[in-house]
Amino acid sequence: MTDRTNGGSPVTHPQHFHTVPSTVITEAERRDRYPKQSEFKELSAFFTSGLKRLEIATVLANNADVIVAAGANRIFTGGSPMAYLEKPEDPVGMPGSGYYVGEDFLSAKARQKGGPSNALQEPRLVEPVNAFLDRIRTLFSSGRPSTPTRFRTIDIRKYGTVRMKRSMRDLAWFLRYITYAVVAGDTSIIRINVRGLRGVIPEDVTLATVVALQDMQWRAGLCFSQDPAAAALVKGYFEVLITEYLVEKPNHQLRFGVSKLHPGLPLPQSYAQSALPTPKLVVKPGLSETETQDAIRAAYRQVFERDITHAYGLALEDLESKLRSGQFSMKEFIRHLGKSRLYRREFYEPFTISRVIELASRHFLGRGLSCLEEFQTYFEVISEGGLPALVDALVNSQEYADYFGEETVPYLRGLGLEAQECRNWGPQLDLFKYSASTRKLPQFITTFARAQKPLPNQHPYGVGHDPLEIQFGAIFPREDQNPVAQPAHFSATSRRILISSGLHNGHHVLGQNGTVPLGRVPGTFGQSVLKLEPSHQPQGHQAQGPNLNVNHHSIEAVILATYRQVFGRDVFDSQRQGIAETKLKGGQITLREFVRQLARSRPFRQMAWENLYITKSIEYIHRRLLGRPTLGRDELNRYYDLAGKQGFYAVVDAMVDGPEYTEVFGDDTVPYERYLTPRGYALRSPQGPVAWWKPRKNPDIAGAWMANYATVTEAKRLALATTEASHSMESTNNNSPAARAESRLNVAIASPPEPAPMPSEAPQAQPLETSTTEDSLP
Amino acid sequence: MSIITQSIANADREARYLSHGELNALRSFFEEGNQRLRIASILTANADRIVDKGSDIFWQRCPVTPSNSGNSTFRASCVRDQGWYIRLITYAVVVGDIDPLQDSGIKGAKAMYTALEIPLRNVVECMRCLKEAALDLLTQEDKAEVGAYFDYLIQGMTP
Repeated sequence: MTDRTNGGSPVTHPQHFHTVPSTVITEAERRDRYPKQSEFKELSAFFTSGLKRLEIATVLANNADVIVAAGANRIFTGGSPMAYLEKPEDPVGMPGSGYYVGEDFLSAKARQKGGPSNALQEPRLVEPVNAFLDRIRTLFSSGRPSTPTRFRTIDIRKYGTVRMKRSMRDLAWFLRYITYAVVAGDTSIIRINVRGLRGVIPEDVTLATVVALQDMQWRAGLCFSQDPAAAALVKGYFEVLITEYLVEKPNHQLRFGVSKLHPGLPLPQSYAQSALPTPKLVVKPGLSETETQDAIRAAYRQVFERDITHAYGLALEDLESKLRSGQFSMKEFIRHLGKSRLYRREFYEPFTISRVIELASRHFLGRGLSCLEEFQTYFEVISEGGLPALVDALVNSQEYADYFGEETVPYLRGLGLEAQECRNWGPQLDLFKYSASTRKLPQFITTFARAQKPLPNQHPYGVGHDPLEIQFGAIFPREDQNPVAQPAHFSATSRRILISSGLHNGHHVLGQNGTVPLGRVPGTFGQSVLKLEPSHQPQGHQAQGPNLNVNHHSIEAVILATYRQVFGRDVFDSQRQGIAETKLKGGQITLREFVRQLARSRPFRQMAWENLYITKSIEYIHRRLLGRPTLGRDELNRYYDLAGKQGFYAVVDAMVDGPEYTEVFGDDTVPYERYLTPRGYALRSPQGPVAWWKPRKNPDIAGAWMANYATVTEAKRLALATTEASHSMESTNNNSPAARAESRLNVAIASPPEPAPMPSEAPQAQPLETSTTEDSLP
Repeated sequence: MSIITQSIANADREARYLSHGELNALRSFFEEGNQRLRIASILTANADRIVDKGSDIFWQRCPVTPSNSGNSTFRASCVRDQGWYIRLITYAVVVGDIDPLQDSGIKGAKAMYTALEIPLRNVVECMRCLKEAALDLLTQEDKAEVGAYFDYLIQGMTP
């Protein structure tokens, strides 16, 4: 079985780069110790030099244009390269710009203006005279780097505007990252972002870039002519930048898969780089005492999740001495830790077998379980041979040998070190937490168990609490414990189960025995299907289909119904699309075109697009225009793609022009609701979201509403019985539908605005139900 | 995420240099750096004393608790956890941010103590005692700096 379930997504904070404090603290935390004296000194130096570095960054930022111009003027000829340097676009409305969903553009802009950001970005005023002087000055200054012989300048006119803009953007980008690195006091941010960049551009441009960078380095140095220390610091950062830039594009890191069904995953080196370096402790014969002690403590932390000497005041001394004397390799030491009495007591006896396997895989392989087959294999091992067999199986595995060999202490292969599998993301990250050993329930295997349950009400992109069916795809957790680690057991191929409205091409489709299909709830699909006829006159043509009513069939009615369908309500006068209406009335556009114009209008865009997150937006538009909820991820993904690449109008066009719309609504039918989700159906049925048989059998859960309802129906039933009786006296043997309808009318007068009748097995309720269908039609 | 990482991430997202506001924040962060380091080294040097004193006060105030029941493992674990939290506080003081506390001290800790059947009320009380013991060693100015992290911790652990 190929299981495509994923394991939820707990929040993670991936490291993007490091600073001096973060490095020190992480290192100390990893080893369970306080920062050392030497580290305190390092930090102190970092804080003391902080003000100086901020100054340098400020100077660089203020001289950014001059510095970038120095580089650009060196490699480009035949124009002014600075003219191609664009300011960053107005960040308002860009993803992650601080402009948040739900805020309108104007107030976001006002906020941006009021805020302190962009304060350093004075308008770019490169005065021609000054720029020229600067150019002359730089030409004759000393110390300018010489160019390599193969280098040729690039003609701006031949190079093209687009590439020119890109080049200038990149040069500015390099300088910006230099200032960040200066502030962070660490070169890692440069290393992570720049390494291997030469791989993505042609070789001759690489050469030119290096020449430009060297000129920028030299020009930046001129800004600090009074301060040799600062100049040296900036120079150093530029050197790192250039060196890293010239490195060949590094290969991806591979994580090997555990079975043929689950092949390995590649991870770009830059991600691994940005994680803090994990010290891999290796035990070899010639190590010093403290190093061996460190390795032993690390092994305890890996296998027991705690420093046991500290925690339980005990150590496995005979094992330690064997390791020290070289009798055991690290691998053997780990194996014996796993078979020790302590391990059995801590990680075997208190847990169920499934959890034991999960924990053991963390302790001995440094990762969570990867797939169901793997779990099954180890389950078999532990069932037959107990804990020692499991430990042997893990330590003897090929994977252990590949990663840790004989000498290395096992370590956690977490985020940043390796590509992580999406499938077991949640269980794996949870397993790495300090509190993992207090969780008694297995997590990985239950992830898959949940996947076997049906998913009638679930949105393809969201688990969670959505009682009103309006937060499509949002994750509003219902579960109190560990909500986001619950799987969304919806794979690319699963489809939602939808309930048909029973309307098909404008006709009600009758089910078996002539009954009305399930979706036909009074009030749910009570609307009729409207068609735009060639001549909009009520007289002179026969309405087609049982739902068409000539009185409601004028062009005005069609227009109103279209608004109602597209917007979900009657619109305000100011929101009406007058031009489109006139064109429709004049026969210049089809009804389909009219629907498109409404959907592309400003009010609709505002309502259904601008203020909503993308999943909700697509779901909403889809329900409006195509009359059904989306079916699954496959369908949604195509819309995501469209929305991301071409935007709102493309999404609308794709729906209106799609084959489904053409087939169902054609050019002249007003879209109507064709399908509902089961929950939506339950919500809108008169019984409310409670299944109707439940309160009857169990009145406790029904509450006051049901009690009230029960008395009312009782009274109604009585009334019905009496009227039936009186009618049967008046017109004996007259069982015609007309008579039944009449009696029904009397009942309606007797008890007017009660909730609609509930289906019941009482025989006299039967005519009620069928007649509702006819009566509710306009 | 420390203030350095935070401001660089913000600036990078908007493709701009660091703004005046961010630079000022960083400047005060650097200026106060050595003060924070001094506090951290005081805490480091006195960690054992703080834990001893803290647990004494704790067992006086809260005599009925697993660690005071005579079980030596419980007692050792309690002392270990107190030391652990003092260490986390030190980290937080060094980076000037609640991140280390948040990631290793609070997330999942409630669930963990509940699973171990240790009343959360007592854990919180224990934190309060630790806070008192730690603040005794510090000057008035430093108290405010460190107290905030203890308060955050207590707030996070309160059931």
